[in-house]
Amino acid sequence: MSADDIVEIFRRVLETDDITADSDFFLLGGDSLLGTRVLSAVARTRGVELSFEDLLDAPTPDALAKKIAGVTR
Amino acid sequence: MKVLVVGAGLAGLTAATDLAARGVDVQVLEARDRVGGRMHGIEVAQDDWADAGAAYLGERHTELLALMAETDLKAVPTAMEGASRFALTAPDATAPDARSVPGRFPPLSGVALGELFDLLDEVTRTVRVDAPWLTPDAERLDSITAAEWAEENLRHPDARLFFPLFLGEMMAAAPADVSVLHMAFYLRSGGGLRYLNAFAGGAQESRIDGGAHRLCEVLAARLGDRVRLGEPVLAVEQDGDGVTVRTAGGAHRGDAVIVAVPPVLADRIGFRPALPEPRSSDRTAPGCAVKVHLIHPSPLWREMGLSGWSVSSDGPLLSTVDDSPPGGVGVLTGFVTGEEAKRYAALPLAEQRAAAVAQAALLFPGLPEPIGFHVTNWLDEPYSRGCYAALFGPGDWIAQGPGLTRPHGRVHWAGTETSTEFFGLMEGAIRSGRRAAAEAAHDHPTSGSAL
Ligand SMILES: Cc1cc2nc3c(=O)[nH]c(=O)nc-3n(C[C@H](O)[C@H](O)[C@H](O)COP(=O)(O)OP(=O)(O)OC[C@H]3O[C@@H](n4cnc5c(N)ncnc54)[C@H](O)[C@@H]3O)c2cc1C
Repeated sequence: MSADDIVEIFRRVLETDDITADSDFFLLGGDSLLGTRVLSAVARTRGVELSFEDLLDAPTPDALAKKIAGVTR
Repeated sequence: MKVLVVGAGLAGLTAATDLAARGVDVQVLEARDRVGGRMHGIEVAQDDWADAGAAYLGERHTELLALMAETDLKAVPTAMEGASRFALTAPDATAPDARSVPGRFPPLSGVALGELFDLLDEVTRTVRVDAPWLTPDAERLDSITAAEWAEENLRHPDARLFFPLFLGEMMAAAPADVSVLHMAFYLRSGGGLRYLNAFAGGAQESRIDGGAHRLCEVLAARLGDRVRLGEPVLAVEQDGDGVTVRTAGGAHRGDAVIVAVPPVLADRIGFRPALPEPRSSDRTAPGCAVKVHLIHPSPLWREMGLSGWSVSSDGPLLSTVDDSPPGGVGVLTGFVTGEEAKRYAALPLAEQRAAAVAQAALLFPGLPEPIGFHVTNWLDEPYSRGCYAALFGPGDWIAQGPGLTRPHGRVHWAGTETSTEFFGLMEGAIRSGRRAAAEAAHDHPTSGSAL
């Protein structure tokens, strides 16, 4: 799953187009409720079950893509 | 011109204030011996007030904020620093076990909760919020309960565990009491899932300094003797040139009347001519909330690094919030909602107290006995029957929805349940009062003042 795919997920969940690969989910208005919707989208498309702590730890599309690559490798 | 207003809750008081400002003669008739309806304060220590009814607001509640500014009332932020406590156990588990978590995220599967919120978001988006009965697929959505919807759609045990707690927090509803259409409408009307759920940046951002009831008290004080207490309205009769409103104490005559009471209570009033259709049905649940306040010398949980926020799957306190007034005593508010509220409300006070105190001690280890304890049981309030707001059951929106705001001759309707914006909230009550006042002033502009 590329950072671009995650940019798309952030856009949909945060309802803004203003997202780049290094946008911080929580600084752009994301909260725990919306965060879970990122996790479910990742699980749906990639079959990877991340935890909420993973998103706290990797809150940008770039960082999250790396984390997913790490899990699936 | 003279307009009578039934009910001195926020909706009725707003309508009366607007009409008075237009130079209209108004008379408000209130059943209780106090104003405010579902906004009610209790003095928990000298000059420290807790909200027994409505409490929270956010920046999208623009009419409420404007009214607060105009009446010199301040907003105090809801404190939310520190860790949350969660006691979430599957129904078959044995001893409940509470744990601390940073932030407000429950220690459940994030993916499962995400799926739940995706599904809720999807159904919420389809609703025609201004006219829910015109929603595509309204027939189907209005025919099933939220409980049936959950049974069909939620696979993961964590989603099944969390959904009733979430609905209880959002709308004081048991999933079996509301239709899917009503649930989706309510969530959309209040600004969507994220906004309704959030404290900072959401619908629980702040409270009214000194208690929400003060807003109603200020409005009533300005209206002076135009507000009469202890006047339960029994009947509303229209004839060719006016309307007579009968209370236990006498009769009042006007050119128009604004009925600003919850739908279930409006249906108890005798209308002549009769209403073309009822405003509620036997599926309309009155909403079920009991609010508990545990009073401590100060917010002791903050010293433990805890925010006071907790969520438990076993009652009675399904969630708790720190509602301490700034610089005052510690107020831990417990919410008892849904089915749990029905059970808890039936207990004697001593048992209610023992259960709440024991649970608070489990959630906040080391928390001593409170110095004060208050229970407000909205289920048994004869003049509320709807708290936080009326819960529309299957069939209600399609049958009653279109008529909720339609004037019945000289009768106009207000009350938070008649606002499709911020339904069920203080903001909705104000908006409904504004609309009804404008309608009444517009429909009866030239009639002379009836004496
Ligand atoms: C526990 C609880 C928590 C809540 N939390 C929040 C919150 O955090 N934020 C928020 O925005 N909202 C909250 N609400 C909802 C909020 O209180 C209501 O939306 C709002 O106060 C409704 O105002 P209203 O004027 O429409 O109705 P009401 O306040 O119900 O006013 C109706 C009035 O009519 C009177 N009346 C009834 N029948 C008659 C009759 N026959 N004759 C004469 N008078 C009659 C009643 O006594 C009452 O004074 C909460 C409600 C409860 C109960």
